[in-house]
Amino acid sequence: MILHVNFKSGVPVYLQIALQVKAAAAAGTLRPGEALPSVRALAEELRINRNTAARAYSELESEGVVENRHGAGCYLRATSASPLRHAVRSERLGAELDAVIVQAHHLQIPDSELLSLLRERLAAFRERQSAADRNS
Amino acid sequence: MSQPVIHLQDLVHRYGKHEALHGLSLSVEPGSCYGFFGRNGAGKTTAIKCLLNLLRPQSGSVRVFGLDPRRDEAEIKSRLAYVPDFVAFYPWMSVRESLDYQASFRPRWSRETEARLLAQFQLDPAAPTSGLSKGQRTQLALVGAIASEPELLVLDEPTSGLDPMVRREFIRTIIGAYQEAAPGKRTVFVSTHLIAEFEGLIDGFTILDQGRAVLESNADEARTKFRRFRARFDGDAPPVTAFPAAKSARRDGRDLELVVNGNGDAILDQLRACKPLSVETESLSLEEIVVATIGGNVS
Repeated sequence: MILHVNFKSGVPVYLQIALQVKAAAAAGTLRPGEALPSVRALAEELRINRNTAARAYSELESEGVVENRHGAGCYLRATSASPLRHAVRSERLGAELDAVIVQAHHLQIPDSELLSLLRERLAAFRERQSAADRNS
Repeated sequence: MSQPVIHLQDLVHRYGKHEALHGLSLSVEPGSCYGFFGRNGAGKTTAIKCLLNLLRPQSGSVRVFGLDPRRDEAEIKSRLAYVPDFVAFYPWMSVRESLDYQASFRPRWSRETEARLLAQFQLDPAAPTSGLSKGQRTQLALVGAIASEPELLVLDEPTSGLDPMVRREFIRTIIGAYQEAAPGKRTVFVSTHLIAEFEGLIDGFTILDQGRAVLESNADEARTKFRRFRARFDGDAPPVTAFPAAKSARRDGRDLELVVNGNGDAILDQLRACKPLSVETESLSLEEIVVATIGGNVS
């Protein structure tokens, strides 16, 4: 899988990597049991510090997205049930949604339009997901 | 938290009347890759020389591995390797002899690492050191430093003189291979002007200006705090004086550009409340952060 980092995005580098892996897993382009690059390979590929690459994987491991088979690398977990409590998950997502709501307010997008936009994006995401499933 | 590999506290060093270090403090965690940034003459090399007991500061304390270089110079030097800005070798020695000579002083030496790096740099072991170019001298010094498997690698402008391909390879693979061999235990302390090239490698850094640390930060935190906003308005942009909390501001007709340090979200809300047509936000790169911190215009 090809990952990339953007130092100007304002998102910590380890988090960018974790988010990309999660996005690929959610969209089905990265499949359960599939291997992720080693810490060393990832660090070299992205020209980042090995600490950063290792931190991205430990973040993903703590969230139950990947499992680290010692000495054998890092794999996407078969069951993607999040070990985070429901309340923690809602809280994390809530903060992201708040940012979207603030942005919509400044762009003067009415609530009804915001909701239909969310539905549209969600439908497009599900479409991509099932396309990935068909290809597998 | 583990003991810092390097700990400087209120370091003062004068050359005659000229004060090169003016109360410098910094701390480097084991296993990190730490950047030491600043202009020429900011005091970087002076600080590095204090680590090695090549200079003795007039006041303040220096600890390397928790040891005092004045008292424990030999032990510190056996555990670190230093690649200076300008490297000299005995001119009558070949590359091979020069490495054997260096190895004779070191408690550890990896022949395997040495061979791998010689091949990677395409250095001929039989070549006389007197015939090496500046870049090849730096490469030879790096081979010696890394083959000795130190706990701390101190690099002063390590990429000066290296051609772009070698430089890229050095940053991409060599530092990583060195640290990967003992994760969490091998520390790199690098003074460099080529900040953009090291961007991804740097975990933490200090910006030195006129002998003082003007910013000590984790790299991700710094990039989260230092941001640039570009806004375009339907009519004239609000005056720069409307944003006193911004670190710097530029206005040109309908455009307004703000650079912020730390209070970005509040300033962004304030900017959005002025109803711009569009707002772009980005973080500053480490190089831009250095420029914004020690003065001059960020562009």
